[in-house]
Amino acid sequence: MPDTERLDVSLHERRRVARMEDPEYRLAYERARREIAQTDAVINELDSLRIDLGLSKAELARRVNRNASSIRRLFTAGRTRPELPLIAALADALGADLRVVRRSDGPSSPQGENDQEGRVAAAS
Amino acid sequence: MADRATSGGSRRARTAGRGEELPWVVVYCRTRDGKSPALDFLDSCPGKIDAQFTAVLDAVAAAPPPRFSGGGKWEAMHDDMAGWFEVRLTGPGREQFRLFCLLENADAAELERRGLLRPAIAVIAGMRKPWRTTFSERDYRDVRALGDDYRQNYPRWIAT
Repeated sequence: MPDTERLDVSLHERRRVARMEDPEYRLAYERARREIAQTDAVINELDSLRIDLGLSKAELARRVNRNASSIRRLFTAGRTRPELPLIAALADALGADLRVVRRSDGPSSPQGENDQEGRVAAAS
Repeated sequence: MADRATSGGSRRARTAGRGEELPWVVVYCRTRDGKSPALDFLDSCPGKIDAQFTAVLDAVAAAPPPRFSGGGKWEAMHDDMAGWFEVRLTGPGREQFRLFCLLENADAAELERRGLLRPAIAVIAGMRKPWRTTFSERDYRDVRALGDDYRQNYPRWIAT
């Protein structure tokens, strides 16, 4: 193919590595990644449960009294900030519970208790 | 040729013959005068906002559309901005920060024509505004103009 030229696409990576030298930036980045991962995990787990149950998005929408397009947008990132009441309703419709469990590497309680793990998850 | 760059196509980048999925890359558009509006914007943001933008871009690059990704901070835009994606963040004092992106997703030959080895998130521009205010139509038109310029170039003009 004529006139093709591979671009150097490493700037984003190099920029992140340089910025991570700043502890405050690193903390904000790592916290954001954890929060994003938790939200993504819950939504994608709900979608996996829906598929496992053989439910269409439209059928799931009917079960939670929403229109199909809103549920479709939810599962394809066409909509930001998924509302917790909707997430809880979807989990219930899929026979699942939402749980918050303490993460083992999270801050310890004043009494030094360390009895729970910690993240949000959809569990069937 | 149908342009899948803005269609949110479901294809994932794969290594030749091995079927392994690779994350997309993140690139920043460069204008005719050598500037990168998106990078200039990110550099002007508070450090924590910059870090969060980077985190969202990395998450979406690792699990690109049409999957849900970006923690609810990555959104497909509509109407005049259909085909665009934005990262939406709230900063100190509820100031609103937005990063406007296009998807570079096509078959291997078309990606090569664009200078890319695999699909990419192209970060075009960013804007900020006080809480409960709106960007003007002119603001959005300026973003679209940058995107139009960016998509005219083969290979793409990106900041390096």
